[in-house]
Amino acid sequence: MIKRGIQTTSCQCKNIRSGIPKTTPFKNKPLSYEEAQPPYRIGVTKAWNSWNTSNLKDEGKTGETTIDDMFIRRFVKGTFHYLLASEVIIKRRHNMIIICGLLFGSYQQRMSHDPKKYYFLIGYSEELLSHFLKCPVKMEFSVVTDKNDMVFKKI
Amino acid sequence: MSNTKILVPLGLTNSLHHRLIITVRLLSTAGNRKNERIRQTRLESTKQEEEKDFRVFQIKGLNPRNKREQRKNDAPKMQPRYMNMKPDDDWTNVWPTASTFKWSAIPFPVRQGYTDNLSENENVTPGRYANTELLKIPNFLHLSPGHIKKHCQVLKDFCTPWPAGLETDELCDQHFPLTVKTRDYCFSSPSVADSRSRLVTVKLKLSDLRLDEHGEDKIKRLLGDKYDPETGEITLNTDRCPLKKQNYDYAMYLLTALYYEAKKVEPWELEKDEADIDKYSWERSQSKRNILKLVQQNEKEESLRERSEDDILSRDEIKSYASSVIELHNEGENYTTINNYKQSVLQLLNVKSQLT
Repeated sequence: MIKRGIQTTSCQCKNIRSGIPKTTPFKNKPLSYEEAQPPYRIGVTKAWNSWNTSNLKDEGKTGETTIDDMFIRRFVKGTFHYLLASEVIIKRRHNMIIICGLLFGSYQQRMSHDPKKYYFLIGYSEELLSHFLKCPVKMEFSVVTDKNDMVFKKI
Repeated sequence: MSNTKILVPLGLTNSLHHRLIITVRLLSTAGNRKNERIRQTRLESTKQEEEKDFRVFQIKGLNPRNKREQRKNDAPKMQPRYMNMKPDDDWTNVWPTASTFKWSAIPFPVRQGYTDNLSENENVTPGRYANTELLKIPNFLHLSPGHIKKHCQVLKDFCTPWPAGLETDELCDQHFPLTVKTRDYCFSSPSVADSRSRLVTVKLKLSDLRLDEHGEDKIKRLLGDKYDPETGEITLNTDRCPLKKQNYDYAMYLLTALYYEAKKVEPWELEKDEADIDKYSWERSQSKRNILKLVQQNEKEESLRERSEDDILSRDEIKSYASSVIELHNEGENYTTINNYKQSVLQLLNVKSQLT
């Protein structure tokens, strides 16, 4: 058992491209700014998607906050299905959670461009999430008219 | 009755006919006059537009429109707000509270992002529209000078003038010698409670307690390292209770207990020796006794007269000797204290050196 646990060969480090999309032969795969920046550039050319104080020195509740963020992301992705144009950005201020991002002006997607539906979805998620997370939740979305507006780079 | 013919000249009949037609038209359009007017103005406006730029006639079906273009045209077009904003608009009404970046409501150009080469956004920093980076960063657009001014005006009603007689820090310390420090923590979390906020620090100058010499010495011994001899401050940190209020009460209890305990004189305290006192006291020292003995002996030999202790002690040379001894003990040995001690001893023994 002990013998098996000892690693004698050097690590190959083959999988070093996690989070970096592969290029296509005709360079026609569109990427948004968020996707175009590799993970090691977080904090350099792109910012975090979760903004909170739990990772600062002497602050706690890192795990709780992370799990909450995961739940929020799943909820929003499911509720605004086919409507999200960008990643879900979660910002926390005191006990308030602010969820923001970009939505498609949906006429080219499945929903009609009736603003009432958006307002309903926003109100619905705000209400439910604030009940689940026991704190005020605010959603501040902007609308993108076209899918191609998000394209930053083609690979 | 037979038909009657009225003879009217031809020109007149024509004009009459015209008039009739006009009246009939007027009658028929009387109900829809409003609509007619609207139609007229519309026609005029379209005419004006046509005069402005010449429209090309589109033959339907000649050029097949692609789907994207069609959709773009079908979508409701709304002008972003900044297009209609004037330079003298009140910014506080546009951006009243803290909010995520809204690209359409910003009257100035903003760009954020990084591009490596021409393949990325044609090497142009991404603009504000559809820019997620701008959504992420916290902005202070709700804290412009105009906003602050408005906040201050509202808060003015709740402000009271600074109390008279507390202009300087010294005066504040004099009237309010006790300082209580508590902490509140602001952080982003579902719970606003923080265990660190239970801590209470009480600070007080020892001199403000107005204790006598015995009391001061005793309270210093009781306080230990909670007393800072350099600043003369007592610092009490309490964190053993779960709530801030409880810790404050405990600190107050501690302070009261310390004060009264320091005032008390226990019978065993009278057994204190010279070595037990942290500060050298000339009054009880062996040095004083020795000096008295010496002086009294000398007096006896000279004039056989008894002198009172106070008389001896009020002599200048004895006084200077006492002060130099106290200095030497309390301050430690250094050039000046040693020198002072030497001078006072020479004076006391009436030794006159030729060197000095």
